Amino acid sequence: MREARRPVGREGDAYHVGVEATRRQESKEGEDGFSRYVMPELDVLMRVARSITGNPTDADDLVQDTLLRAYRAIDKFDGRYPRAWLLTIMRNAQINRVRRKRPELMRDPDVTLAIVANTDSDAKTPESAVLDQTFDAAIERSLAAIPPQFREAIHLVDIDGLSYGEAAAVLDIPVGTIMSRLHRGRKLIRNDLTLDPEFERTSS
Amino acid sequence: MTFLSRIFNRGMSCQQVAALLQQYLDDELDVSDVPKVLDHLEACRRCGLEAEMYTRIKNSLLNHRESPSEDSMSRIRTLADALSGGVVPEGVE
Repeated sequence: MREARRPVGREGDAYHVGVEATRRQESKEGEDGFSRYVMPELDVLMRVARSITGNPTDADDLVQDTLLRAYRAIDKFDGRYPRAWLLTIMRNAQINRVRRKRPELMRDPDVTLAIVANTDSDAKTPESAVLDQTFDAAIERSLAAIPPQFREAIHLVDIDGLSYGEAAAVLDIPVGTIMSRLHRGRKLIRNDLTLDPEFERTSS
Repeated sequence: MTFLSRIFNRGMSCQQVAALLQQYLDDELDVSDVPKVLDHLEACRRCGLEAEMYTRIKNSLLNHRESPSEDSMSRIRTLADALSGGVVPEGVE
């Protein structure tokens, strides 16, 4: 009886031991990669998911979906710009989720971000805590009044703390467009404040 | 920037700084341009006030940042820890 060819040989032989060792090695590297690249970004993912979905429950589901997709793809990730990689995964996950679950309710992300932008927050930085509440209220009014695409850019960069490149990855638009929207949005807010006599002194 | 400083200091103009100000405030400016922008902001009252106003706006916008609930964060961390260990928990698609 002819011996079976090596690739389909018996379990436990040298070939299969080698294959198993390679699989274990790849699996171990994937786990290490997940810890190294994904774990540090959990807070950012949670914030951006909240911005994109507009509510905490959907945000949790979206982050879970993103983590699973990242886990399955980690072996193919080259380790460069992990946050941008994860945000791209999140954007695609959100597109699929909305398309699959509630196509008729597919929310305009601009509207979503407008809602989030008008929500109060308990988290204050030491710097912002000392700012005048009247100033904050004026900013809030101005932010709500600017065009949605500008508000969206401001939300991702100024509120969620993303870089230009990361915000561009979330929205799938060029970095230059993010910069332009950001600058125009801020200018509108700034000009709005200038019209307020209370802030005229510092803004002129 | 005053007339004399414009003549004797060949730094950036107000227009050049205005074009780079947002990137400077966002920490996105090329490091080689940062000292030039800084020099101008210190010397030019008008641009300095403009930068101060945008900084206040940025700081105020941070108040809109929402922290996820402890429950949410805990659930996500539990899942992430499991995946880090190579385990996909049951019931998670």
